[in-house]
Amino acid sequence: MTKNLLSPLLASLLMVGVAAPVFAQSATAPTASMATAQDASLYMALGETAGLTKLTDDFVNRLKADSRLSTAFKDANPKNLKLMLMQQFCNVSGGPCKYEGGDMKSVHADMDITKTDFNALVEVLQQSMDANGIAFTTQNQLLARLAPMHRDIITIK
Amino acid sequence: MKHLKSVLTLAIAGVATLVGGAALADTGKLLLTGGVSSIDGAAGGGLTPWAVIGTNASAGEIGASAFVSRATSQDYSLNVMGAALGYKDWLEVSLARQDFDASPAIALNGIAPFGVQPGQKIKMDVLGLKFKVAGDAVLDSDSLMPQIAVGLEYKSVDPGSISSVLKFLDAKTQGTDLYVSATKLFLAQGILLNGTLRYTRANQNGLLGFGAGSPGKDQASWVPEVSVAYLLSKNIAIGAEYRVKPNNLEDLGRAAGLGDALAEDAWKDLFVAWAPNKNTSVTLAYVDLGRIVPGITANRQQTGYYLSAQFAF
Repeated sequence: MTKNLLSPLLASLLMVGVAAPVFAQSATAPTASMATAQDASLYMALGETAGLTKLTDDFVNRLKADSRLSTAFKDANPKNLKLMLMQQFCNVSGGPCKYEGGDMKSVHADMDITKTDFNALVEVLQQSMDANGIAFTTQNQLLARLAPMHRDIITIK
Repeated sequence: MKHLKSVLTLAIAGVATLVGGAALADTGKLLLTGGVSSIDGAAGGGLTPWAVIGTNASAGEIGASAFVSRATSQDYSLNVMGAALGYKDWLEVSLARQDFDASPAIALNGIAPFGVQPGQKIKMDVLGLKFKVAGDAVLDSDSLMPQIAVGLEYKSVDPGSISSVLKFLDAKTQGTDLYVSATKLFLAQGILLNGTLRYTRANQNGLLGFGAGSPGKDQASWVPEVSVAYLLSKNIAIGAEYRVKPNNLEDLGRAAGLGDALAEDAWKDLFVAWAPNKNTSVTLAYVDLGRIVPGITANRQQTGYYLSAQFAF
């Protein structure tokens, strides 16, 4: 009885689970940046320039205050960092901004950054997005656009 | 003697966990990305290992975890405790001790004079090794490439007075499962998929020994295991698992005139995992373990609940 009830449920769950991300991926292929150029829905969900300015202001303030990351960010000019992050988040989320900062690899080349540091930064960004009332599903979409940068940002593999 | 040794090993692992907790408090995986502790000790879902390396240790770090789990069904119950070490997010060593209440086995004395004692427990120790070989399950969100790991689980079972039954079945008391797992978090969608292929000749995961006399199946076979999870929030995931089993014993039972008394079914579960903080996770599941020796349990499906707590550093 239970088996009969459970099996179709599981089968459909699994099929949805397998099919949904594969189709979603192929629909947005080949790269996130191409997808963002055509689709500004994430940018809109993040509150456009005003929302992103508020988010990145808060994010940088939290980075400067976080016990794990404050040392790494102590010399960073907060005003410039906020602007660069705003442009970057706006750009990757499909907004109309041009990112005027350096590429991720050269910007981080002289720093000792571990995966734990990278993850700590992700956590602070999540806290900041929570504090700014950004929905969890929207948070994950932004993180998915940013996460691949780990290849250029993490210098201690 | 053998169990004394493993209890000691577990105790040592427990101490390592405590020491590790103090010394490695700044290990840095993202919440739930080290998985929970499977019943065999390896990091993954509840019933199946994933390609993630357990503990809270990220690249370059050493971490430790410990867990307790309990599953109950109509006729059986299983208690598990164990620990794991994670080394540089590359190697995982795990230990688990399973304590299975096999009380219904007393009914086997009605088939032959097996001398099964009332309230008999079956104990099994599992030593696991897992190596990450490629990919990053979480951060490579711009590609379909999963994290891939290979692993083994060495299992040694002490069936107590049920050993006469395992002898009758010609099932061994030791076995090694080999597996390969692929895990992928589709971050933008919040969906995690895992597929594991296990090469095993374990009966009911090894609790009923390994392999079977003819015409049962004595050879190891590849069996698939699938998990899917959906992230409801940073610290809550829900999901389902489906684990196919080899069913080595059924044909032997049939040849002995016992019909499908020894049939073995797939294991399934629906779970919710919650991480109240970075060092703790709690998993609750509804499990459907199919038939477990249906000949002595009125052919019942074994369904019930699974609860597990993990502490990781």
